[in-house]
Amino acid sequence: MIYRYQLLDHVYEIQLERQGDHYLATVDGETFQLEILNDSPGQLSLRFQGKPVRLYWAEDHGQKWISFDGCTYLLEKPTPKTNQLDQMKQKSGLTRAPMPAQVQAIPIHSGDIVHAGETLMLLEAMKMEIRITAPIAGKVFRIHVEEGQFVRRDELLVELEG
Amino acid sequence: MGNLFNKILIANRGEIAVRIIRACRELDISTVAVYSDADQTALHVRLADEAVLIGPSSVEASYLDQEKILQAAHQTGAQAIHPGYGFLSENADFAQAVKDKGLVFIGPSVEAIAAMGDKARARQRMQTAGVPVIPGYQDQDDFVSFQAAAEEIGYPVLVKAAAGGGGKGMRLVWEAGELASAMAAARREAQYAFGNGRLILEAYIPDAHHIEFQILGDQFGHLIHLYERECSIQRRHQKIIEETPSPLLDENLRTEMGLAAITAAVAIDYTNAGTIEFIVDSMRKTFYFLEMNTRLQVEHPITEMVTGIDIVQWQLKIAAGEQLPFSQSNIKQRGHAIECRLYAEDPENNFLPATGTLLRLIEPRGPGIRIDSGFTSGDEITVHYDPLIAKIITYAEDRPAAIYKMQSALRECVVLGLPTNWQILIDVLSTDEFLNGLTNTTWFEKHFEGWQAPRCSPPPEVLAAAALTQFKLDGRQSITPENPAMDQYSPWHMGNHFRIGEPK
Repeated sequence: MIYRYQLLDHVYEIQLERQGDHYLATVDGETFQLEILNDSPGQLSLRFQGKPVRLYWAEDHGQKWISFDGCTYLLEKPTPKTNQLDQMKQKSGLTRAPMPAQVQAIPIHSGDIVHAGETLMLLEAMKMEIRITAPIAGKVFRIHVEEGQFVRRDELLVELEG
Repeated sequence: MGNLFNKILIANRGEIAVRIIRACRELDISTVAVYSDADQTALHVRLADEAVLIGPSSVEASYLDQEKILQAAHQTGAQAIHPGYGFLSENADFAQAVKDKGLVFIGPSVEAIAAMGDKARARQRMQTAGVPVIPGYQDQDDFVSFQAAAEEIGYPVLVKAAAGGGGKGMRLVWEAGELASAMAAARREAQYAFGNGRLILEAYIPDAHHIEFQILGDQFGHLIHLYERECSIQRRHQKIIEETPSPLLDENLRTEMGLAAITAAVAIDYTNAGTIEFIVDSMRKTFYFLEMNTRLQVEHPITEMVTGIDIVQWQLKIAAGEQLPFSQSNIKQRGHAIECRLYAEDPENNFLPATGTLLRLIEPRGPGIRIDSGFTSGDEITVHYDPLIAKIITYAEDRPAAIYKMQSALRECVVLGLPTNWQILIDVLSTDEFLNGLTNTTWFEKHFEGWQAPRCSPPPEVLAAAALTQFKLDGRQSITPENPAMDQYSPWHMGNHFRIGEPK
């Protein structure tokens, strides 16, 4: 069986084969032998290349969180579009909420001309003020939210026309 | 312990509510938790003897709603209210309202809260009492007056909210040209956070340490301090790592500051637990009164570790009218304690608070490790409240041993489902400056400016485990000759009287 996971921009491929009571995992052309010592919910004890290792894991909406040796890794199903989305975010006049928050103030109006870096909106989350600034200079095309409204992460706030 | 309360209400949530519930249990006091819609299944609700829903998720409509909290106390027959920290803990009106209802407010007197609540008045009061204060100005807060005052004090200056705390409504101003915009920003933030836009001005000390003294006073005029906490490692004016004893203080300075802390507390007839915050100029070894927090502090556990005194239990006993049985000379600092605050924050997203389900939380264990947390696996971290997951506290014979223990405890800590500030805590603990105890209040921001979590590729163990867990999950869902249990159409799993060729 072949499994693919993505961490940040990189896709990893693992080939897993069962051989009696142990497994062979091939990553990047290198093969490792593993054996399950204990498999309780969310916790996996393995003999990995003869050495005992312990991992914690959890799954959420197809994402796998794995903790090993103090570090936590978030492995996702590969999505080819990640890079494109990132580029779009950087260059466009679309501003989105960096985290779930409440809109405190909108000092601009539709049709205003703003320069890059100008404050478009003040959000508040967990008693912290988050300043949303214009990514580019331009004209305010549309404001998608109202003062007092709760917004989700990545929700569209303001559209600017460059 | 004959005259302690039978039942108290805890007007807070999260780890501090849990901490107070535990202290009550140890003293055989029944507990009433209050909670909002978002906290229906929260740990403090599960642990308390009783729990009362006080409103919707937003803090204004629940944990800050005095009427609802007083109503909950009345309805459950609680005799006293512990406010925890934050929320209503430093609200003199609330303390008065509690008193007016014939209940006990577990904290200082209304007068003491009011005296320290306004920073400008507190400063004057301390100056009169002979406690050194930072050169500053707290008269008319219009631009022209501030401009003149700033020239006299000398730049850099700090513009601060008179009613402030936690770094809100605070701006550092390096030169005259920045003053107007800093004042506007600080005033807006102060108005919003505290409902009071009044500003004060202070000299800014570049190589400053933030060192605070824990105070405990009973209702018989008996006041002691429980030594200091070094809280210089801060991000956005929020503490993230605290320790005691402070590596900066020598015996002379420690004694001098302890006396000043007592003088400050005596000046306002302080009772119960409180904290005097000082700014220490590490070059000149001089110290200045900064403010007093008239409540329990987040970082109180490290003081409990090195003094062996349970501060929360004493808050309850003092409020019930017990006398402190020890004097200053009985209080000793023994060993070294460190606290790290583990927050749900996203290092990939400018450390903004992260929300979501805490899929798994595994707390480190072992001798000298204490965890104060308000969450367990499966809990939700929401946008409404503070993103503090847990306080990890280690205690050992000396500072290096406490640091090693913390490093090891952090490595054992597992948080799945949310990004955390874990990596940056680990990184701070391994810098030369921290190991040598040379970190001042600006060090963190300077040293970690532009810091990014290392983007390490997952080791083969992790990838193999990912594939293996998926293999097992898939296997469980497919019908195989070895695993017929999943076949819902198999006649062997029917629980009814199904028979083949049944006679009519």
